[in-house]
Amino acid sequence: MENNPAETTPAKKQSEPIWVSVLPEEFRDFLNEVGEIVRFVMRFFREVFMPPYELKEIFHQSYEIGYRSLPLVALTAFIIGLVLTLQSRPTLARFGAESWLPAMVGISIIREIGPVIVALVCAGKIGSSIGAELGSMKVTEQIDAMEVSGTNPFKYIVVSRIISTTFMIPILVIMGDAVALIGSFIAVKLTSAISITLFFNQVFESTDFSDFIPAFVKTFFFGFAIGLVGCYKGYNSKKGTEGVGESANSSVVIASLLVFIIDLIAVQITQFFGYL
Amino acid sequence: METISRTNTEALPKYGESIIEISSLCKSFGDNYVLNQFNLTVRRGENVVVLGKSGCGKSVLIKCVVGLLKYEEGSLQVFGKEINSLKQKELDEMRARIGFVFQSSALYDSMTVRQNLEFALRRHGKGKTKQEVDQLVEEMLDNVSLANAINLMPSELSGGMRKRIGLARSLILKPELMLYDEPTTGLDPITAEEISNMMLAMQHKYNTSSIIISHDMHCARLTANRLAVMIDGINYAEGTFEELSKMNDPKVNAFFKKQ
Repeated sequence: MENNPAETTPAKKQSEPIWVSVLPEEFRDFLNEVGEIVRFVMRFFREVFMPPYELKEIFHQSYEIGYRSLPLVALTAFIIGLVLTLQSRPTLARFGAESWLPAMVGISIIREIGPVIVALVCAGKIGSSIGAELGSMKVTEQIDAMEVSGTNPFKYIVVSRIISTTFMIPILVIMGDAVALIGSFIAVKLTSAISITLFFNQVFESTDFSDFIPAFVKTFFFGFAIGLVGCYKGYNSKKGTEGVGESANSSVVIASLLVFIIDLIAVQITQFFGYL
Repeated sequence: METISRTNTEALPKYGESIIEISSLCKSFGDNYVLNQFNLTVRRGENVVVLGKSGCGKSVLIKCVVGLLKYEEGSLQVFGKEINSLKQKELDEMRARIGFVFQSSALYDSMTVRQNLEFALRRHGKGKTKQEVDQLVEEMLDNVSLANAINLMPSELSGGMRKRIGLARSLILKPELMLYDEPTTGLDPITAEEISNMMLAMQHKYNTSSIIISHDMHCARLTANRLAVMIDGINYAEGTFEELSKMNDPKVNAFFKKQ
């Protein structure tokens, strides 16, 4: 009836190499984190091409991430377009170059301000939402429950969300750009008699595909980064409600930072290839 | 709700072959060994309650059984297969034969009760018609007397209802083995007894075997065919409720003294 409690020698643990143990603990933690992120990204690329494909969940997340973010993105873009035009007008007027206003604002919005502002808004809204949702699922054992039921939680939760952000952010940016240009037109219209046709003619005459394409391509990377960071932080959330808050918070901070870093790299690359 | 008493011996299933064989199992987190040469056998049709103090590694044990955690040493065979050596596909197939009731119920917050129950059928219920799926969901909800909660969201359910839906969800694939992680924790005594009786009724109806992790002695008395007391990561003592309650060992007696 009773087991023998005497023979309870713990199993031997694998010891780490000496060169690892001499590294400062913070640096080891940093390296561990980098290793985990690399494994996470590799797992994403491995699983994204392997069936079964969670198409229903991808469409559901695209609706949640794309459609539900549209009002916030549109409002922000409208205000940015309006304010940018109102702020730029006096400076251009000083040089007698008011007629350049639609062109200048158009280029600014399409090349830089539209993509970055929309990506930052999405990093805040979508990044935090994914981080908190996955963190909450983790601490309440919903991810374990999914795994026990025979569903691959990484594929169902992580892959679907990263795909959705990667493809929805560019669409939101295009819509944001359009709304920002409308905001800009209203600001111009307040002080001068300009038709909408003339305004958009001036905008599109001063821009070409070399302005639009690099700006559009980088938004896929913004979307990927936002989804990846939110999912990584949420999926690896530590136990407890504090961990959920931390996941949401760090998702926003890191995703926002990555948006700027990717933007910087994208500008360097486009300059290198002579697009700017 | 049908109540099955342990004194009703006709209701007891006859125990068959071993379906879980755990031998010298070790699992650690850092330097802390929560399972340290742990041994246990569960036979078909048997309910084994694992008793132990909070944080002693009881939940870790059943998470190893279902492959959610990897153990470092020892052997853990479920249905004759070593869990650590199974490939993902084999593990998924085995999991279809195992039901897991989580301590927190772990219902999917963004889904209705119906969707929660249907979720496992996405992977393992292929070939079932919509009508068959609906019937199965209704049967499981009837089992736990919550047929009218089918369209509710988990946030609209009480703690006891969540536990019952968790039980119904884990039974949807009609598993041969049930793993309960503290099924009565956080419930009032009446609801806790209802859940215990449901667990017995399900064992009787579907002829399942179970490992029940608990430190609720009332639940243990009601549901256990056999108890294992986990202390310091080992199976310290094993026997029926009566045997253990009469045992002359202060560590074991500590669990029974308030009974």
